[in-house]
Amino acid sequence: MADVSTLTDPRGYWGDLTSEERGVAGFLAAAVLVLLALMLTGVLNPTYFLFLFGLGGMFGLMSLGLNAQWGYTGLINFSVAAFFGLGAYGAAIMTASNSPIAGDMNPIFGLVLGLILSAIVAIAIGIPTLRLRADYLAIASLGLAEVVRLIILNEGQWTAGSQGLRGIPAFFEGWPVLSTLPETLPQVNIEVIPGRVVTLGFPFWRQLLNVTLVLTFMAGAYLVLRRAHRSPWGRVLRTIRADEDLAKALGKNTYFFKMQSFVLGCLVMALAGVFFAHLQLFVNPGNLDPTTTFYVWVAVILGGAGSNRGALFGGFVVVAIREGPRFIEQLPPAFLTEFPPGFLRDLAFITDDVLFELPSIAISPGPLQLLLVGLLIVLIMRFRPEGMLPPQRELIWPDAVDENVRKRPDSGVREQRGGDGDE
Amino acid sequence: MAVLDQLIELTADGVVYSSIIVLGSIGLSLIYSIAGFANFAHGDTMTVGAYSTLVFFGILGGTSISVLGLPLSFFLALLSGIAVTAVVALVTERFVYKPLDIGSIGLLITSIGVAFVYRALIQIQFSADSRRYDIDRLRPIEWLLQYNIRMTEHDIAIIASAIVLVVGLHLLLQHTDLGRKMRATADNPSLARASGIRVRRIELWTWIIGAGLAGAGGAFLGLFNQLVPRMGFNLLLVIFAAVILGGIGSVYGAMLGAFLIGMVVQLTPILTSIGIPIGSEYARALAFLIMVVVLLVRPQGIAGEAVGGGG
Repeated sequence: MADVSTLTDPRGYWGDLTSEERGVAGFLAAAVLVLLALMLTGVLNPTYFLFLFGLGGMFGLMSLGLNAQWGYTGLINFSVAAFFGLGAYGAAIMTASNSPIAGDMNPIFGLVLGLILSAIVAIAIGIPTLRLRADYLAIASLGLAEVVRLIILNEGQWTAGSQGLRGIPAFFEGWPVLSTLPETLPQVNIEVIPGRVVTLGFPFWRQLLNVTLVLTFMAGAYLVLRRAHRSPWGRVLRTIRADEDLAKALGKNTYFFKMQSFVLGCLVMALAGVFFAHLQLFVNPGNLDPTTTFYVWVAVILGGAGSNRGALFGGFVVVAIREGPRFIEQLPPAFLTEFPPGFLRDLAFITDDVLFELPSIAISPGPLQLLLVGLLIVLIMRFRPEGMLPPQRELIWPDAVDENVRKRPDSGVREQRGGDGDE
Repeated sequence: MAVLDQLIELTADGVVYSSIIVLGSIGLSLIYSIAGFANFAHGDTMTVGAYSTLVFFGILGGTSISVLGLPLSFFLALLSGIAVTAVVALVTERFVYKPLDIGSIGLLITSIGVAFVYRALIQIQFSADSRRYDIDRLRPIEWLLQYNIRMTEHDIAIIASAIVLVVGLHLLLQHTDLGRKMRATADNPSLARASGIRVRRIELWTWIIGAGLAGAGGAFLGLFNQLVPRMGFNLLLVIFAAVILGGIGSVYGAMLGAFLIGMVVQLTPILTSIGIPIGSEYARALAFLIMVVVLLVRPQGIAGEAVGGGG
């Protein structure tokens, strides 16, 4: 419904949005404009931009998966990195050139292996842990994720151990048209600022293909999860999250539902891992670092637990936090040597001192990322624990919406159904 | 015979390592039982202790008088480090956890953010490189070597200090007014409040004691291995395993669980020697698997009092 009304009645659609949704939409529009401007002026390399976008999509996918566990069912899964890694390793084992057991196969087999591996491990981890109390589940899943990481690190006869798997082809290698498409597309030169030509060549097209792939994965996962969430099955999950005893009293086998939700989420995370293997073209055990798990958690909490749109939004914000410090670190020298001759150096407050000082301000990106993520977690939990885009109408079947009470509850519902007697 | 020698050698290491885990576990268990959530920042609290001891020791410098191979100023730095850790925990409690009204799961997630902030700040200040206290490494004590025990005086100092702290805590809990109030509050906060205990004050004392012990554990861990910003986070899961094995909320259970888990982690190489193909690289994995099994079979842990309250 959203898609249609956006086209036919944009103003009405905007009016329907909550203030949070407007804020997020405005923020996204501003971010896109800034990035486009940076790209057209040559500050940001378009190929790198697409790479970042691919990473954003990847985090978005993982957040969708975690949302299906934490947001729908209330499962505290701290093993996101393990399933991401299983997907990546599944893909790599089948396709990498130095894979000890298979290798050099069509990426489709890697996709299948990644999904199967993660489903098996999800069930194996789920059987003992899903019966546990929420905080025990958190600790146990973090511990088991570490076990998975240790196995991948130490069983070199399958995974090549700490040296990692190399020579992974692009995902579309061996496909009819798509495998050669990037080579055949022409080189495009864009010149917005005279003298600064932005060239879009083979690497750009190949990265664009990657982005298309992640968008496809994302769209697929989003549609499936949204459908599932609104279905009777999804309503059981929501009941479990709200009150598991109630769900049991209604005769639902909650353990079974939790297991389904857990496996579904883990499959989506593995999908992100498969994409990552074909984006980065090599994987190593470092990709299973538990910190990734918490980045994904930030994305879901920031977006709003239970909200698929929020999870996607959070995924992109997390990539901005992860890559931003790295970018800022690189920015001052390049920015100041190439850019300011035109207008920045003329500004009175930019003296040579400042130019000299700026690069040294930059803290190395690793701890800065960690600091930003940590602060973000604390601030969200303090000021907006429900996230930026908490689920509202997206939980309701479009057909079930009573057109007469379309307005937000505080006006529509009370006027229409007044007389309940409460304030 | 070779296996026996190895066993003795590993046991010695295990006792030292366990002493450190014990200090971390007691704090985690105390905070779990009184603040009511799994504090994922506890490992990084240990890191705070290690690094603040490093800073104070750097200021004080070495002294000529030393006890067990450690200059007297190290013990002074250790006490200052413990104090700093307790203050950091108190400030965090007051400004981060206290204003929140989101239940134990929300607090758990918040504590991850706190852990990241601690670690990031330490890494910004001290870089990710490993560091050591400016103390000479010692050779194993001669007369113990004839029994195949390789222990330095530093190891003895760690064990002795841990014993002093643990006994001190025991006396505090059993024989002082504060200790009785702490036990009462952990047992049943509402009842404690109703009987006139100032629960808030007890909570703060719990944070001070828990974080202080963690700080000491972190400083000893730095002495045992070295200091890296990730040291505490890496130990966190082992400590959780210990606390769960011992039974969440039980201080004495945490001590026992910590001792057992520490031993398991350090004794894993023995498995290969007696023909079980599990290498020492899986030592931590073994600890986590024990934790999961305990959660399934006996969630109340070894010291299994009735489970209830808690979260």
